[in-house]
Amino acid sequence: MIAYAANLATLVAIFGILAATLNFVVGFAGIFSVAHAVFFGLGAYAGAQVALLLVPDALLACLVAAIVAGGLSLCLALPALRVRGEYFVAASLGLQMMATTLFSEAKPLTGGIGGLVAIPRPTVAGIEVNVLPLALVALALILFLTARLQRGAFGRSLQSIRDAESAAEALGKNVAAVKTLAVAFACAGAGIGGALFALHLSFVNVESFTMDQSVLVMAMVIIGGTGTLWGPLLGAILLLSLPAGLAFLPFIPPTEVGAVQQIIYGLAMTLLMIFRPAGLVGDLSKGRATA
Amino acid sequence: MLFLQLLLQGVQTGALYALTAAGFALIFGATRIFHFAHGTSFTLAGYVFLFAWNGGLPWWAGSLAGILVAVLFGLAMERLVYRPIQRHEGSFFTVFVAAFGVAVVVQNLVGMVAGRGFASVDTPLSRADEVLPDVFLAPIFWIAVGVAVALFAALSTFLTRTHAGVALRALAQNPDLLRAYGLSSNRLSMLAFALGSAMAAPAAVLTAMTSGLNEAVGHHVMLISMAATIVGGVGSLRGAALAGLMLGVAESVALQFVDTQWAEGVSFLVLFAFIIFRPSGIFGVAQAR
Amino acid sequence: MNEVLLRSENLARAFGGLQAVAGVSLSLYAGQVTALVGPNGAGKTTTFNLITGNLRADSGTAQIRGRPIMGLKPWQVARLGVARSFQDLRLFTHMTVRENVFAATETASWFWQPGGSRARLRRQERAEAALEATGLAALADARAVDLAYAERKFLSMARILAAEADIWLLDEPASGLDLASRLRFGELLKNAQARGVAICLIEHNLDVVVELSNRIAFLDQGRVLAEGDPGTILKDPALAAIYFGDRPQEAA
Repeated sequence: MIAYAANLATLVAIFGILAATLNFVVGFAGIFSVAHAVFFGLGAYAGAQVALLLVPDALLACLVAAIVAGGLSLCLALPALRVRGEYFVAASLGLQMMATTLFSEAKPLTGGIGGLVAIPRPTVAGIEVNVLPLALVALALILFLTARLQRGAFGRSLQSIRDAESAAEALGKNVAAVKTLAVAFACAGAGIGGALFALHLSFVNVESFTMDQSVLVMAMVIIGGTGTLWGPLLGAILLLSLPAGLAFLPFIPPTEVGAVQQIIYGLAMTLLMIFRPAGLVGDLSKGRATA
Repeated sequence: MLFLQLLLQGVQTGALYALTAAGFALIFGATRIFHFAHGTSFTLAGYVFLFAWNGGLPWWAGSLAGILVAVLFGLAMERLVYRPIQRHEGSFFTVFVAAFGVAVVVQNLVGMVAGRGFASVDTPLSRADEVLPDVFLAPIFWIAVGVAVALFAALSTFLTRTHAGVALRALAQNPDLLRAYGLSSNRLSMLAFALGSAMAAPAAVLTAMTSGLNEAVGHHVMLISMAATIVGGVGSLRGAALAGLMLGVAESVALQFVDTQWAEGVSFLVLFAFIIFRPSGIFGVAQAR
Repeated sequence: MNEVLLRSENLARAFGGLQAVAGVSLSLYAGQVTALVGPNGAGKTTTFNLITGNLRADSGTAQIRGRPIMGLKPWQVARLGVARSFQDLRLFTHMTVRENVFAATETASWFWQPGGSRARLRRQERAEAALEATGLAALADARAVDLAYAERKFLSMARILAAEADIWLLDEPASGLDLASRLRFGELLKNAQARGVAICLIEHNLDVVVELSNRIAFLDQGRVLAEGDPGTILKDPALAAIYFGDRPQEAA
């Protein structure tokens, strides 16, 4: 039971990181990415390879993961600078599909469908550690950083660009640079989440980085409340506890739990959008922070 | 002769892509709603046909049932999801998330009811004959191409000859007309959803008879439709259809150089290239927002 | 004459077959208010867009203090000291009034602004001063979207004040303002003038033009037809005829 709770807590922390960083680009930069799992995956593979080939040092793995995911986030920033709205969603969906194929085909880097196995236990300064404390620290750090950025000058720049791009530019804001940085920050964060995920499971394969996963993270952000600080974390807790909750319902056959879970959050997304588009935590009177 | 074989294969796939993409483009043009659940109409139509066929019904009954279900689904989305959202606020992202949620729900329901994995209908029509040395062609090729041509002819007649059709077209080219002329947006929007969703059904039936369906096929269809609409140039039905055909051919011909699993990647490479270098698409004049 | 801060020479731009701007040469002087006057479609806003880099010129040049600015991006032009307002204002609608003005002082594109807390304090002072000068201090925590019409116009001005530019391009900043607001606006311009800001404003109301400007450039069909002090220009019967729509036959 304790092991189960620890596992769940670790996953909540990791998905909390994912949801918080996705919320940063969606809620504050107005960049509606449906490809967040790609950068989660890049970080996971990078972190796993560091542990397999070099040393299983958790900090090094996270650092490399952040650099790889943050660097490759240009693939997402580039279309974000060219197009907006539906067009960008289409581009990010395309990126997600291509990445899924790449992940399953680039066998030397990702192990293909079989994935990377037997990733050694992580260490910090040579001492073996659990991922849970690491993940909690990383989550706290990322929540702190996103809050700081959102409330400071950078967040104002992002919001001003979202509200009136041409006016922001006329005031001297380099829109391309600001957007690229925001995307890089969010993707680097997702990469760190990925490295922790790989170290936690000691096994990763492409299954965890598909469009379904991107949609799950998006659902966490939306159900919790886009543009809020705690909403995404709440969304992560809710959606990750869902399978556990369903397991206690005897009339659902175990093979269908996954499907029932997806049906529930799909339904939740649709109903929320119709009746409460600001999400659970979102302040309705403030209107949609993202529109 | 591999190239010719792949080309013909591509034309067959492309004809079906063109149908679904034109349906998507029709809806988007007339209502400015990016109907992300368009692929779900396709999935539903395909599986209804599959059930009808396996239940011993004749092909035309199954096809009709498929079309009916696709149309009903499109109308239900318009009434129950898009309309209420647009009433209170209607940012595109809200619409996207709501539609995506529906797509996820239907995909999983279909998986639970019909079983997961590929299912297809075996007919004599899908058996290939050697028509040229090393070039195999099934009768279904001609059916696919014929159905696509016939439906496009019918659609273009409708859009140019009838009052409602002209109104739809006018709307696609200039959304402000809606307000300026006080056209009944309600009815036109329902018409667009009905027609657009119906266009997906024949493609779904033919896909069930050729490459087969799985519960996640809707994603793929939605992505192709979206890609074709953007590549073709938003607002242009002809552009979307042409781009759909082109994407089908490109995916197929690419098989001469890469393995099957990369085929889909080709479409997205094309989409990506267009978004970066020509976001307004082939026939697009308006700037992407 | 005062120092020339911005000079354009023969700026031209066509849209399809329409020559929107057909060789506009314009000089803006420190401490002077130049009014850009002319009938609708004369190319006034397009001229602004060509200078700020929002549109690419087909031909012609422009310099800020002798430094060529053609081909620069809007944000680069802005950092050379150009601030502009838009006819449709383009406020940051979901942000508060204070945040709108703050955002105008923060131009670095990095995760934080350079200069540490001392620089931040200076930016804050600038922002508060701009709010004070535009009479928005009491509304600082209201969201831009909730402001009344005149308040929105002043918020747009407050952003420009806070941006600390010395070249202002204002697109119909006084249109629709009541008398009291117009006086306050005139006060803003006078103060800026005294600090040596070069101001160019597009304005349709000729009374306002006389009230606020000390130079006029008269634009028609993408060309500067006449340039000079308000008294002379506005008394020219030929220009008045064009302005009020009685275009001479041969020009039609």
